[in-house]
Amino acid sequence: MNSAPLRIQLGWDEPATGERREPRLNVPIALGRDFNGMPAQIQGRSISRMVLNSLEVSRFHVLIDQDSSGLVIIDQNSRNGTLVNGTRVAINTPTPLANGDTLQIGPYQIIVGFALGTQPSPPSSNSPIFFNPNTGLPDPNQPSPPPVVPVGGSAPISRSAFPPPIFQSPEVAVQDLHATGLSVGEVDYVAVGAGLGSFIWADLLRIYGVKSSQIAAIGIESKPYSRYKQLCLNSQIPLHERLRSNSDSCPDNIWGWPSYALREAWHDTVRGRVGNALGYLWQVFSEPTFAQTYTPRAGNVFDSIDREAQRIGWDKMFRYGSVRSIRKTSDGRYAIAFSQTTTGQRNHAFLVARYVHLAIGYPAIKFLPDLQAYREKTNDFKSVVNAYEPHDHIYEHLEKYGGTLLIRGRGIVASRIVQRVYEARHKNQQIRLVHLMRSPKPQGNKFGTSQRQVEHHYEFQPFNWPKACWGGELREMLEKANPQERQRLLADWGGTTTADRRDWKRIVQEGLKLGWYKIEFGEVERVEREPDGIITYIQEKNFKGQMRLEANFIVDATGLDAKVTANPLLNDLVTQYNLPLNPLGRLSVSNDFELVEMRGSRGRMYAAGAITLGGPYAAVDSFLGLEYAALQAVDAIAATKAPGIHRLNCVSSSLQWFKWVANQMP
Amino acid sequence: MTPTLFGRWQTRLFLLATVGVLVTLPFSLGIISPGADPVFFWVLGYVALFGLFWDVLYNYLQKFRWDRDWPAALQLLAGISEAIFIACGVKLLGLPNVARELPLFWFVIHYSLVWLGVFIASQSLMRILFPRWRFKGGQWL
Repeated sequence: MNSAPLRIQLGWDEPATGERREPRLNVPIALGRDFNGMPAQIQGRSISRMVLNSLEVSRFHVLIDQDSSGLVIIDQNSRNGTLVNGTRVAINTPTPLANGDTLQIGPYQIIVGFALGTQPSPPSSNSPIFFNPNTGLPDPNQPSPPPVVPVGGSAPISRSAFPPPIFQSPEVAVQDLHATGLSVGEVDYVAVGAGLGSFIWADLLRIYGVKSSQIAAIGIESKPYSRYKQLCLNSQIPLHERLRSNSDSCPDNIWGWPSYALREAWHDTVRGRVGNALGYLWQVFSEPTFAQTYTPRAGNVFDSIDREAQRIGWDKMFRYGSVRSIRKTSDGRYAIAFSQTTTGQRNHAFLVARYVHLAIGYPAIKFLPDLQAYREKTNDFKSVVNAYEPHDHIYEHLEKYGGTLLIRGRGIVASRIVQRVYEARHKNQQIRLVHLMRSPKPQGNKFGTSQRQVEHHYEFQPFNWPKACWGGELREMLEKANPQERQRLLADWGGTTTADRRDWKRIVQEGLKLGWYKIEFGEVERVEREPDGIITYIQEKNFKGQMRLEANFIVDATGLDAKVTANPLLNDLVTQYNLPLNPLGRLSVSNDFELVEMRGSRGRMYAAGAITLGGPYAAVDSFLGLEYAALQAVDAIAATKAPGIHRLNCVSSSLQWFKWVANQMP
Repeated sequence: MTPTLFGRWQTRLFLLATVGVLVTLPFSLGIISPGADPVFFWVLGYVALFGLFWDVLYNYLQKFRWDRDWPAALQLLAGISEAIFIACGVKLLGLPNVARELPLFWFVIHYSLVWLGVFIASQSLMRILFPRWRFKGGQWL
């Protein structure tokens, strides 16, 4: 037996969040669902046990060990089997494993790597790009946000310190706020963010009877869809293109009727395009089985939000400002410290509120560590970009001069880029596309008696979660589960998927056949700028050498980062009040989306959106998911007999719906 | 639609008891069909009764779908199957209180109108009356 234990690295993306895990473990390694179900020792050697949280993974699924021939994997008679490079391995038989092999265990796709220590490995966590707090745009030069509350208890109270030192304690008295001399407003309801989450919550409050004078929405953009629209446009979803959202997920209409399909069908009928109209109706009737899923045009959604914002008096509720900190007040409410600084004028203020709603969205954009290293080394922010950064110049350049674009990551954003490149090729045939995926995906995730479809390593799902996660049996299942079970369910239902669109599938097939689109697999070692372009070096399997991928541009389509600690406001709140985080590192919320630890004698705090993923609801980051979160929260508030709010029943719901139709304020 | 079993039952019973009854009235009073005949109400009753068992089957079949959804097209196929089942039951085995000589033509007209009414109501009316209904798998209670 070898004296020194072999150490290998396993790498995979967490299915529920897409976060990269790359632990280094000593062989022998046991992988399974249940830590205590795996043996601690074998033949006197201690086993490294790694838990993969999914119902599709057996309690003790595989053992990775080394014998005279090298590294081997032994399936421990698992229920769903194990795939190595797409081939199922025989149970209880040692199967050799080579460097760079891909294991598929349940929804986990794990890449095996040896040979550590020869290269300095890039930082294992994805580096974020933060949104500039003043412009709201992703800003690669935006440094990691400074701590919120100025530290140093002995500092004198000065007007330049904001939030003031009284914010260093967990409770502030309202009279102390007045004593700072800054303006102190009081409302019943405050929505922090003023984005889609805040809009949907405020909309529901208005429908439940609350007056617009009692609601304040603090944010930096007056239109609730501003950031969302900007991210859409950046990631190549122009206004006429369709979002990945259901027909009856209407941010402007809590009832979901008339749905976007009905509205578009009506619109087309009235303009004589009856064929199109019937097409949309057929889609919503037969989707997804006999017809492609209908999704609304981005422009139509934004227009509908404009109409509803006008109807509920959103501009009376919106207040420009960037919330810096929130503290409980001694009378059971919340003090919100926000900055209204514009160029040339420093302006700070406070709002005291009974009910606070946090929906600030994604604090940052994720960036692959090797691409981040490249950008820092070369200061080149134009050729290597994240798909959510504005990068139209890349397509303009390709259309004029041709070239090669390399996409990293697979998923809905990657599909949009593929479509955009296809359209660019109509102007210039000298454009080539290389799609670099970490590993092949021969099979889709399984759950119970169903499985997702895969074609050309693209895994299909109409929306970002299985449809029943919004209001069906899967929603119920997740809500009833305990935190451990929730992690499993999210892993099984999650993963990177894209929409099953005929036009996209046709583009992929044509591209592969004609050769302008290639799919490559591999782990990136480093990215360098060389005379013939940007070179991505990929470690080839079995040490056969390195693969070089040349490109003129690289687009990182791996997504957005929602770790709570990336946002200074949330980080401060979590630290000050010891708020628990759920297993995915986001805010832990109750079934009503309440931050229970923040409850005051006269007030409550709620959260919604991406910052709550990992709790009782999966589809938090979606229009309909935000509506569900708002319904839960507002119903809970109504139950506390809060001022001016009446729970919606059959009669009031119908009445409010008619008001919506007639465009009358609620 | 992404219903749960209880949601299916609750929605079916509610809609048959409201829209179903409304649509059946003209038939049973003889306004649409020739001659007043309470048999249509019995047919409605059987649709409700058998439907409770059909819903269990649909719920089971739904688990083979990754999205755990039940598209409208499947609802139509289900409706047709249930109609055939009842028609066979009446003609071949005989159901209590439903005459074997039930005119198939009027049965189909009545059943189709009830199905259509219930379908349209489930797409529109249920959402407006019960805004939380679609988030609870069809449970309006």
